[in-house]
Amino acid sequence: MRPLDENETTVVFEKIFKFVGNNLKNIVENPSHEGPEPEPGRYCFRLQKSRVYYVSESLVKRATNISRKSLVSLGTCIGKYTHAGSFHLTIMSLNLLAANAKHKVWLKPTSEMSFLYGNHVLKGGLGRITDSIVPGDGVVVFSMSDVPLGFGIAAKSTQDCRKLDPNGIVVLHQVDIGEYLRDEDEL
Amino acid sequence: MDMETDQIYQLDVGNLLAFNPSRRFPSPPSSRSFVKECVTEGTKLVQAIADTLFNLSSTETSDGPLVQLPPPSTKLPRERHTEQNLFGRPVRGFVKSFECITSMLTFFVSLLPRPKPPTKWEEFALKKGIQKRKKDKIVYDETTDQFKRRHGYDRVNDDNDIPIIEAKASDEPGEDPFAKRLDDKKKRVGKQEKNRLQNLKTAAKAGALPSHVQLAVTALPISGTKTRPQKIGKEALGDVAGLAATSTASGGKFDKKLPGEKPPKKQGKHHKYLPVVPRYGMVDEEKEQTNKLGDKHVQRQEGEEEVRKIR
Repeated sequence: MRPLDENETTVVFEKIFKFVGNNLKNIVENPSHEGPEPEPGRYCFRLQKSRVYYVSESLVKRATNISRKSLVSLGTCIGKYTHAGSFHLTIMSLNLLAANAKHKVWLKPTSEMSFLYGNHVLKGGLGRITDSIVPGDGVVVFSMSDVPLGFGIAAKSTQDCRKLDPNGIVVLHQVDIGEYLRDEDEL
Repeated sequence: MDMETDQIYQLDVGNLLAFNPSRRFPSPPSSRSFVKECVTEGTKLVQAIADTLFNLSSTETSDGPLVQLPPPSTKLPRERHTEQNLFGRPVRGFVKSFECITSMLTFFVSLLPRPKPPTKWEEFALKKGIQKRKKDKIVYDETTDQFKRRHGYDRVNDDNDIPIIEAKASDEPGEDPFAKRLDDKKKRVGKQEKNRLQNLKTAAKAGALPSHVQLAVTALPISGTKTRPQKIGKEALGDVAGLAATSTASGGKFDKKLPGEKPPKKQGKHHKYLPVVPRYGMVDEEKEQTNKLGDKHVQRQEGEEEVRKIR
C-alpha cells in the first residue's frame, strides 16, 4: 500500500472529474467519522497491487500493520490500473460518484434490465436527463426510483438528444451493477 | 551445548539461543491458553539463558559486569554459495568462457574471498616486529618554527625549498646536487612502483585480487604462470566501470563510452514515494499534493466554463 504519485493522482482525478465536476472537492475533503479520534479525519487514496482505494486515514493507519503480501483490500476500491498503465473506474466507485454526480440520467423501468445486461442506453429508454451535457461527459445512470444503476459516457448533448430517433445511443455503457454477478471473480 | 539443569534445553549462548526439543502443546493453536502456555515456556527458556550468562566469568567495568560470549554453535546459512559448481565438485577460481560449450555449463561462480598473500614489506615488517604508526597531517617544521602540513601546498620537507646544499668530501666537483636529489627521488619512485606491481602479480597468481584491481592487472604481463587470466563477467565489469565513474568529478556523466556500452544505471532510489502515513509532527505532503491537484482541476473547469460562455 502506498499513496499515489503526482501523475497517478492527476489521472485518477481526471476520471472522477468527468463525472463529478466541482464536487471533486467534496470527495477529497470528506470528513470521516471512523476511528476513535474525536475530530473527523480525512479520506485519502491509496494504491495496493494496482488497485486504487478510497480509505479514511484512521483505517489506513491501522492497515499499516498488515504486510503488503497479506493485504487484500481496504476501504472502497474505486478503480484499477491496467497492465498497460491506464486507469479505469470500477463498479465499486458507484456510490461515491452517484452521491456527487453532476450529470444524471434516469431510465424507464422497461429499459433498466437492458442496461444492467451491459447494453448502451438508447433514447427510447430515457426517462429524464439533466441539462448541459456535453458529449464525452461522464454520466451516472439511475432508475426512476433514484437507485444508481451504473455510469457511462454521454454520446450526445442534451439538445441533440431531443432530435434523436428512438434507437440512437445516448449514453455509452461503462459500468453497471450487474457486474457484481457477471464479473464476480475480477472485482 | 546441553545444560545440566532441570530440563534438557539446547543452548547456544553465542547466539543467545535456547531450544526445547521436547515440547508438547496440549491446547490448540488458536486458543488464548495457548498464548499463556507459550509465554510461560518462553520464560523458562530465557531463565536458562540468563543462568548460563551469570555463570560465565565476568570482568568488572564501569557499566557493570561484562561477559565475553563463547563463539556460536549454530550454523547460519551463507548469503553467497561457496565455490562449487552444479556437479558438486569444488571449482576454485575457474570461470569458463563461452567458447567451451562441450564441457561444463558456463556460469559465473561467486567465490569466498581469498586471503591475500602478504606483500614484501609486510613480510619484512612481521619479521622485524615493525608496528604501523599513524602519521599526523600537520607536522612541526623546525626551519620555519611553524606547523605545516605533511603533503600538499606549503609542505614540510619540500624539495624546491632547499636553498643551500653543503658539499661533502665524497662529492665529485662537476655534479649538481639538486639534480642528483631529483634523480634519486625518481629512482626511489620507480623502485616502489616495481615493488607494487610485483606484489600485485603475486596476489593475482594466488587469485586474491578484487575485481576492479583484476581489470587493471590484466594489462600486466604475467609470465611463467599456467593459470589463464580470469575473464570478468558482464556484471562485474559494469560494477567496475561504475566505480571508475564515481571517481570523476561529474560522476562519469561525460565519459567517452565505447560503442555498445550502456549508460550507467541510475544510482539510488528510482522512484520517490510519499510515506504511507504522515509522520507525527511533520507536514502531510500527501494531503498537500491531493489538495493542490484537486484545486487545479476546479480552476481548469471554471476557466473552461468561462470560455464556453464567451463563445
